[in-house]
Amino acid sequence: MRVRRLATVWQRLRRTIRGAPRDLEFDAEIAEHVRLLAERYRRQGMDEEPAMLAARCQFGNAVLLQEDRRAMQTMPAIEACGRDLLFGVRMLRKNLAFSLTAVTTLALGIGANTAIFSICNAVLFTPLPYAEPDRIVMLWERTGGGALTPVAPANFVDWRSASRSFTDMAALNPGFGGDGSFVLDRQRGAARLAGARVSWNLFSLLGVRPALGRSFLLDEDRPGRDHVAILSHRVWQERFGANRDIAGSHITLDDERYTVVGVLPAAFRFATSAAGFEERNQFDVFVPMALDPDGLKRNSHPLRVLARLKPGAAIASAQAELDVIGANLARAYPANNKDRGIAAVPLSEQLSAPVRRPLEMLLGAVGLVLLLACANVTNLLLSRAVAREREMAVRVALGASRRRLAQQLLTESLLLSTIGGIAGVLFAVTAVKVLSSYLPADLSRAAGITVDTTMMGFAALISLATGMLVGLMPLVGAGRMNPAESLKENSRAAGHLQSGLRNTLAVAQIAIAIVLLVGAGLMAKSLWALMHVEPGFRSQGILTARLLFPPGRYPDNDRIAMFEGELRNRLRGRPGVQSAGFATYLPLSGLENGWSFTVDGRPPLPVGVFNTAQYRPVSPGYLETIGIPLIRGRSIMPADTADAPWVVAISDAMARQFWPGEDPIGQRLRFGPGETARTVIGVVGDELHEALDGEPEPEMYVPVSQAPNVESSPTIVVRTALDSGTAAAELRAAVSAIDRAVPVDGIETVGQLVSASVAQPRFRTVILATFSILALAMASIGIYGVMNYVVLQRTREFGIRLSIGATRRDVLRLVLGRAAVLIGAGTALGLGGAVVIVRLIANLLFRTAPLDPYTFVAVPLVLAAVALLASYIPARRATLVDPMVALRCE
Amino acid sequence: MRHAKKSDVLQGTLDLMILKTLEALGPLHGFGIARRLEQLSNEVLRLNEGTVYTSLMRLQQAGWIAATWGASENNRKARFYSITKRGRKQLAKETEEWQRIAGVIGRVLRLEGQKS
Repeated sequence: MRVRRLATVWQRLRRTIRGAPRDLEFDAEIAEHVRLLAERYRRQGMDEEPAMLAARCQFGNAVLLQEDRRAMQTMPAIEACGRDLLFGVRMLRKNLAFSLTAVTTLALGIGANTAIFSICNAVLFTPLPYAEPDRIVMLWERTGGGALTPVAPANFVDWRSASRSFTDMAALNPGFGGDGSFVLDRQRGAARLAGARVSWNLFSLLGVRPALGRSFLLDEDRPGRDHVAILSHRVWQERFGANRDIAGSHITLDDERYTVVGVLPAAFRFATSAAGFEERNQFDVFVPMALDPDGLKRNSHPLRVLARLKPGAAIASAQAELDVIGANLARAYPANNKDRGIAAVPLSEQLSAPVRRPLEMLLGAVGLVLLLACANVTNLLLSRAVAREREMAVRVALGASRRRLAQQLLTESLLLSTIGGIAGVLFAVTAVKVLSSYLPADLSRAAGITVDTTMMGFAALISLATGMLVGLMPLVGAGRMNPAESLKENSRAAGHLQSGLRNTLAVAQIAIAIVLLVGAGLMAKSLWALMHVEPGFRSQGILTARLLFPPGRYPDNDRIAMFEGELRNRLRGRPGVQSAGFATYLPLSGLENGWSFTVDGRPPLPVGVFNTAQYRPVSPGYLETIGIPLIRGRSIMPADTADAPWVVAISDAMARQFWPGEDPIGQRLRFGPGETARTVIGVVGDELHEALDGEPEPEMYVPVSQAPNVESSPTIVVRTALDSGTAAAELRAAVSAIDRAVPVDGIETVGQLVSASVAQPRFRTVILATFSILALAMASIGIYGVMNYVVLQRTREFGIRLSIGATRRDVLRLVLGRAAVLIGAGTALGLGGAVVIVRLIANLLFRTAPLDPYTFVAVPLVLAAVALLASYIPARRATLVDPMVALRCE
Repeated sequence: MRHAKKSDVLQGTLDLMILKTLEALGPLHGFGIARRLEQLSNEVLRLNEGTVYTSLMRLQQAGWIAATWGASENNRKARFYSITKRGRKQLAKETEEWQRIAGVIGRVLRLEGQKS
């Protein structure tokens, strides 16, 4: 039954496309019927002619019957569609200027939306490349103040044994400074590998299998058996020539022998922050963490902890369980865990949370651009609808139904939007390619996105929606058309209905443009403020590079300080180099390390309460080179060796916080109860270490030779007048002249660090600014179109006015006055909308009030100026009307 | 299509009558069907005979009747229509339906008659 119906449909479809042949047999059947009827009449005594006539009469309309048959055998709706489509194509080709404008506008709107959507899709909506990624959560310690911090190893071990909500829990130690990096000793020159120490089950927790070899074994996650390594695909290719037999072979990391057990897949990415997904931030090598069960620390917090929820376990119930575990640990270990809770955050949320708001803003903005584009095309269609009013009237007079007219108009607008959509996708592909190379690190998941089905589907969807919207709007007015009126020559009655719609559209366009311009204005001002913030350090003419000292040859800070001293001396002798210094934590590098300390002579703090400040081991010359000014006392000098009295220089913020109204110089502080006291010898300037939009934090600078930990991975800063290429070459040469086994990499200028730190705000600001300029252009074209139409409609009126004594100025004022009303209304509406909408982006702004008065004054002025200029063109034409011509044209 | 929606009921009854005719008399050509309808309705039902063909096309498309070419009484080539198995089933169903409705309408009409 169904098959049969399908066959019938297919046959009808085929006949529709091919055109049903005239059915000769059917004709013959009917002719025979009529002949028989006529014969009967003849037998009743009629003549030939009247008999035939009577027969035909009795049979009825044979032509209509043929038509019925045709309709029954084909699909008239599709046939009509085809006709409309052909007609639409003809109309578009006939009005090429119109078509190009409309298609370009739509392509820009659809393309921009598709491009931005693709980025959002990749960053926000694409599942992470792990098995059942929505069950993976990150676990953090939550301090009393609500801040989420990494986890102490002892706490991690306790969580893992106490919790029941997870199938798996694993930790990763990315390592600060040298902790996580290895010197890979290959015969030709040493190289630094970014390494991470991980629990043996991290990869199985993620659901990732090595492309070669195997993952770690439980047994290898113990001290003594942990000299095994898993390589990233990139390192395997770049350093080991993609050798497929690498599993089981030995490599030397930090002068120790490791066995390679596996190589990760090429597509493997792992990060615990959005920016971490950037290719250059990926780990090169993984080794087991091998926590020593007897030496677990609870007072340092280096671990990132991941867990996989049991199937069916809700995150809320897991959180409830963690709350209990956290409270128990706080009771058991008040010294370290007082007020510390545990927070579970879904990994996907962890990675997308910081970029969600900026991306949502861009999506909203680009949506507004599409609305503007729609309004523009609707306006264009309306102008054409007026020109085609007679055509429509003829169609109505000939019996076309309103539905039929709507179908035709809709076909035409859908044709436009489809072409626009195709052009838009091409535009989006290019745009995404261009944007890909400017992506800030925290949007790096969008790097390398290409045209995919989601993108095409999205483009198709918005093209369709656009076509419907644009096509149906003109119909609002078209319905009440009176054909008799329109058919009269030079009728002026029609079009009044539509001019209301056109004015509304122009006002809406201006309002949307205002909203976008205000947003862009605020963002631009905020970015300007961010880029002109005083960071507290020198950002020009400083080259930085990472060094890595293999622990075998550089077992302690003495040895490292000697190397650093020698390198500084060598560099200082070079022309163009002014000074050099070393620091473990460079500003804007993302590296931070807060340490607690006690002040001699002060009463002990209650249990679980600490003084903390950022710990910064530096070499002599660092503060001078990076340009952190000395405020009081003295700086760190070469004389501050391990044997000399121990010293510390503190930042102004630290002085203010811990010695308000006192002179901190001469005060003594310690990092631990048994530690040697360090005397404060100087107060230096504050710096914005973490981010340019952050606040200066208390900092303490300690000479490397007196640092408690081995600072094996310092960054060198060189103040130089040389270009960075030459300076880098000088630096490499100087390092390898001292020791070839010390790898140099990560060469960057401080300027680049600063620039990268504002990459995301810059990215979103540039895109938003582009959109708002596009919006300004579209709104101007919109108001131009409306005013042009007004002038055309009222040509005769202007002619009469001019002929009875109005001056050209009067006419100009008349037209511009009309434009000013529209612009004023749009501006007022837009400003109202902007006041509401800026609240949503308030937290993306830096030192810029959401209701920034300059922006809110400048934007309407600029827009009004541009829009009036656009209106001036048709207005001027109105003044040039020749009264005689205008009167005669009736 | 302007006339298509004139009356579904009328179309339906014509279809029904044609089906019944073909069931009762066996294969017939269009002219024959028209004559039979004329005769049956005592010439009360005077229709445009062309509508018979519309009905025949519809029935054919529904698969209730089949058409074959054959020779007419006076040996002219003619298309003969015959009822199919599915057509018979449909006829039975429609007849029942028709009688049910006719019964209901009849009862209602009688009711109205008593009242006045």
